This record gives sequence, structure tokens and C-alpha cells, in this order.
Amino acid sequence: MRRVAVTGLGVISPCGNTPEALFSNLMAAKSGIRRMTHPFAEKLGIRIAAEAEFRISDYFPTRMSAFDRTGLMALASAMQAWKDSGLELDDTEKERAGVFIGTGMGGSQSVDESSRAVYAENKERVNPLTVVKIMSNASASHISINYGLKGPCLTYCTACSSSSVSIGEAFRQIKTGYCDVALAGGTECLISNGSFKAWESLGVLAFEDPEDASASSKPFSKDRSGFVLGEGAAVLVLEDMERAKKRGARIYAEISGYGTTADASHITAPTIEGQARAMKLAMEEAGLGIDGIDYINAHGTATAANDVVETAAIKKVFGDRAYKIPVSSTKSMHGHLIGGAGALEFLISVLAINNNAVPPTANLKNPDPECDLDYVPNVGRTGLEINTVMSNSFGFGGTNGVLIAQKI
Amino acid sequence: MTTSERLEVLFVEKLQLNRDLLKPESTLDSFGLDSLDKIEFLFQIEDEFKIKIPERDVKIDTIQDVINMIDRLSAEQHGKEQA
Repeated sequence: MRRVAVTGLGVISPCGNTPEALFSNLMAAKSGIRRMTHPFAEKLGIRIAAEAEFRISDYFPTRMSAFDRTGLMALASAMQAWKDSGLELDDTEKERAGVFIGTGMGGSQSVDESSRAVYAENKERVNPLTVVKIMSNASASHISINYGLKGPCLTYCTACSSSSVSIGEAFRQIKTGYCDVALAGGTECLISNGSFKAWESLGVLAFEDPEDASASSKPFSKDRSGFVLGEGAAVLVLEDMERAKKRGARIYAEISGYGTTADASHITAPTIEGQARAMKLAMEEAGLGIDGIDYINAHGTATAANDVVETAAIKKVFGDRAYKIPVSSTKSMHGHLIGGAGALEFLISVLAINNNAVPPTANLKNPDPECDLDYVPNVGRTGLEINTVMSNSFGFGGTNGVLIAQKI
Repeated sequence: MTTSERLEVLFVEKLQLNRDLLKPESTLDSFGLDSLDKIEFLFQIEDEFKIKIPERDVKIDTIQDVINMIDRLSAEQHGKEQA
């Protein structure tokens, strides 16, 4: 079995559009959550979101009419990661390079635009590129096309764990020799009228903090009320370790473990058992015991159900050691990227290794007694020794994905 | 504005093409438009000129072909020349 290196990082997020800016903002507890300025927000009960400051013209010189916003953010992230990695592949190498992207709902903004044209504006014809914008595999394909990567081009759709799964599956393909290089990550943009209404109706979105909209996401807090929808993408370059070393690549970390399980229980309610088993599987693959994890980037959605169940699952896996591991939910600042969340949070976890620092859980001033771990409340920590990190993602449908990375 | 002038605005603003390239005899292929671009371009023409272009049998190679098609369909569908 081969070892797998992370050799490139790219991100478009509500807290910054470079890995450096993102991590620095998170360490300073700077939130990307604010009141939306879209006209449609006026008709919503909940008007806060974590939007990325993503100007298309900053990344693409020409019009990109065949792209949904998810595809644009994914490709922009992939371009950063590719450049960061210094990869140069010949034709044969490109046949062994793959793309693995997770997305929960694909080109959701384009679905919305098309529906509006049909139902609200009674148009006889919708934008003829609607299909290629909506299809969930568009983002992966745009990346593959842009770089001529001809190995597997796959899209994973497991709700909020989509891009932990996409990275995990890419890791497996490199580890077992099916690919040598992969661009892996996730993308999501659900900030459109119809999508937002759907989330609002489900009752899982956070209410706006009356004093500070940017503090509305409160994971592990007694007064948490749900998550804030975020948008963005994160893509990482994964590479066979020997190949990466041979070419003198900068290696951010090694991916050493991945666990994915199904709760097989309920379409939205999580289970302690399913989450714990995913963490254990990842640790077993990485060859790590309960003393082996230095930081956990929690799923930490700030819904009533998640935070209590995830806390219990971490305790089930780590026992008393759970109280000594810093666990933070960066969703408190960048919101919930749904299908893009796993990749963004794994990227943040990799940066925690490289900076020997852990970002905080913001807005945690009123702890829930049922959530009693060290959630790194409000202030990031520096000067630590972070050798191994775990990133948790748990999706609707009971799909769990856990990734482990370590310093090399 | 004439059909030609309105088309020019569409080309420049929606397709981000250089105004100097837009001559009646210029072909759409010469702008590097692929099959999807052409479909989208026709969709934008429908929107701008409030006409319906038939689903099939649209043969347009040059800018002049496009202008002729718009004028013909406008006359048929609105009963008068828009240009």
C-alpha cells in the first residue's frame, strides 16, 4: 500500500480565498457570517448567510456561461491548489490522475433560475445551458477538462459529508495504486431563493443574533439554534508520497486514515454509534490509538441534535482522553458549506498541522452542560504540537465521513 | 437602434467580443463560439428581440445571416420590422 501526501491547497470561502487568509481569519475568530444583501432575502424569515467574496472576473478572463457558481468556485479552488502544488504532468501521467469532488446539491442556483423562468416568468424556454449547469458532476468535469486529467472523474453526493467522502475515496485510490495524483475536494452554493426557503422550512437554520449577526452560529452553546448556510469550495492535491518526495514537492501532510459508515437509522437524526464507528475506522487505518489525535475539527453544526450526539460519539471513541483533545467547530465562522464542508474543514485541519495552532469555536460563551469537551472557546491556540488531526463530517441520510491527516 | 446595433451591444456585453471584429461577413465560428455558445447566443437573441427562433433548421453562419433571421422572424411574429 502506498502513502498519500497532500501537496496543494486551494479554497474559496466566506473567511478568505487563500489558505493563508482563511486560517489567519479563523485564528482571529473573524466570522464570515452576515446579513445577506440579495433582494430575495427580504422575503425570508432568516436572512443571514456566510457568503464568499468571490468575483468571477478575478479568476476567469472570459465569460463562463456553462458554469453554475459551484463549478466556478470549484475550478477556482482547483486552480489555486494546482499552482500551489507545482504539478506538471505528461500525457501518460494525466491518465493516472483523477478528480474527486463532493457536492450535496450540485448546481442548485441554476435549478432555481430555471424554475423561476418556467413558473414565475412563464417563459417558453429556459437557459439552454441549464442541464450542464445543474448536473452534479459538472464541477469535477470542469476541473478534469481544464487540466486534461483522464483518470477517474467522480462526484460524491452524501449530503454534509460529501467532500470528506470524496477526499477519502481519492486517498483510497492512490493508496491502492489506481491513481497517482488526485484533485479532491468539494463545492456548494445554496444561497438562492428556493434553496434557502427549503433549508429555512426544515427548521435547521440559526436565528440571527439580535446583537451581532456575525455571531449567529453558536456550536456547542446552550443557546445554539442551528447552522448558517455558507458557500464555497476547497480542493486539495493528493499525491503518491514517493512521487511527491521524488519531485521535491512541498508536503503539507499525509492522509493516513478514512472512515465512512452509515447510521442506517433515520434520514436526518444522527446516531452516536454510526459517528463513533467512522472515527474508529479512520483511526484503525491510520494505526492510531486514542492518544494519537491532537486536534478534532468537529462537524459541530450547532443544531440541537448534532452537537450532543457528536460530543457523545467522541467520548465513546476516546473515553476520558476526549476531555484532553482540543475540538473546535469552525462552522461558527465560515458557516455550513454542506457538500463543501468536509473539504474546507479538512483543509483547515491540515493547516492546523502546518501552523501548530488550532482555530477556535467562536461564540461559545454559554456552554451546554451536555457538551462538556474542550471546544477551544472563542480564542484560537498557538504554540501547540499538532501532529495528527481528525476532521469529522456527518451528513443527512446518516452518511458519516472521517479523515485523519498527520505531519510527516 | 437598428438590428445591427442592438446585436452589436449583445455581442459586446454578453459575449465579451471585440467590437472591431463585428462585420456583416464575419462568421460566428471566427469568434471561437462552440456549439453550446451558439445555442446560448440564440437564446439571448430571443430574449433581446422578443422573438422565438425555431428549435431546428436554424442555419446561421455570418453576422449578416443573424441580422436577416432576426428581421424575418420579427416581421413574422410581430407583424412589422423591428429594425
